[in-house]
Amino acid sequence: MNSKLMIISFIFALIVIFGILYLIKKEKINIKYAIIWLLLFGLCAILLIIPNFLTILTKLLGFEVSSNMVFAMIIAVLIIISISLTAIVSTQDRKIRKLIQEISIIQGSNYDSK
Amino acid sequence: MEKVLIIIPAYNEEKNIKKTCDSIIEYNKKNKTNYEIMVINDGSTDNTKEILEKNKIPHINLVNNLGIGGAVQTGYKFALINNCDIAVQFDGDGQHDVNYIKNIIQPIIKHKADMVIGSRFIDDKSSDFKSTKTRRLGINLISFFIKMLTREKIFDTTSGFRAINKDLIKEFSKDYPVEYPEPVSTTKILKKGFKICEVAVSMNERKHGVSSINQWKNIYYMINVIISIIVIGIGGNKK
Repeated sequence: MNSKLMIISFIFALIVIFGILYLIKKEKINIKYAIIWLLLFGLCAILLIIPNFLTILTKLLGFEVSSNMVFAMIIAVLIIISISLTAIVSTQDRKIRKLIQEISIIQGSNYDSK
Repeated sequence: MEKVLIIIPAYNEEKNIKKTCDSIIEYNKKNKTNYEIMVINDGSTDNTKEILEKNKIPHINLVNNLGIGGAVQTGYKFALINNCDIAVQFDGDGQHDVNYIKNIIQPIIKHKADMVIGSRFIDDKSSDFKSTKTRRLGINLISFFIKMLTREKIFDTTSGFRAINKDLIKEFSKDYPVEYPEPVSTTKILKKGFKICEVAVSMNERKHGVSSINQWKNIYYMINVIISIIVIGIGGNKK
């Protein structure tokens, strides 16, 4: 990977990290859900500044060019995050359902069922 | 005598709901039974709520639409709180006939089954309305998968006319499938070792409104149901 691209990527990673930290500070994102993004981009930033790391890893994993490897990894990570978000949505779905049911029963319990 | 609660999930049933409830009240008077009614109004957008209130029909208004599974589960939770012995799921659209309730609860009273399904297909004379051909094909396909996974033959897998005993009221209050509740819950409890039996009933065609399963969604519905059943069926059976 050429050094220009590397610097741009590094800066981008830093911007994202600070962006997420800002959102946590403003309480727009729960730290629980933000931590994976922080770790991910933190890791990216570190890997980017290690010289030749990407080139070596590309050869090691058998990719033709490093950009392909980067894409493949990003896609894999995004899929994992999407699935975990689906799991989070499903859990919340269950919680909301329970809330609706219990509240509705309490509200309606002044009716006699006879 | 057993305390029987009839749970009627209703979503936009303004044209049917009063008739359905009246038929049960009338039946109670005629036969000196004491079936209690609880309509679960699943966030209807029509006048279902007003009709229920005007006619003083016991009901719970869900503060938000939950779908059939969530609505029926609310009924089970209510049954659990009120210490009912038997809970009957009964459609609000006039498809089910109140006269069959005593047949459906009979095996539970005699401790022969934990759940009884009102079945359209158990013998050929029992029902004039047998549902459409494609629907029957789907029901048979679900039946085949349930048989494969649990070794139990259930004929009418999607019937919403069902009665359960106290153990299952407890079980379903804790855990009841939101999507495709009938076939999925059937598989689940069979896996857990509960006993299910079927009783022949006759069903009417819907008088008003549309069924919750529309024709175009049928294939999507089938795929979902079969995947759900397989996932439940293959996992271990913990009780």
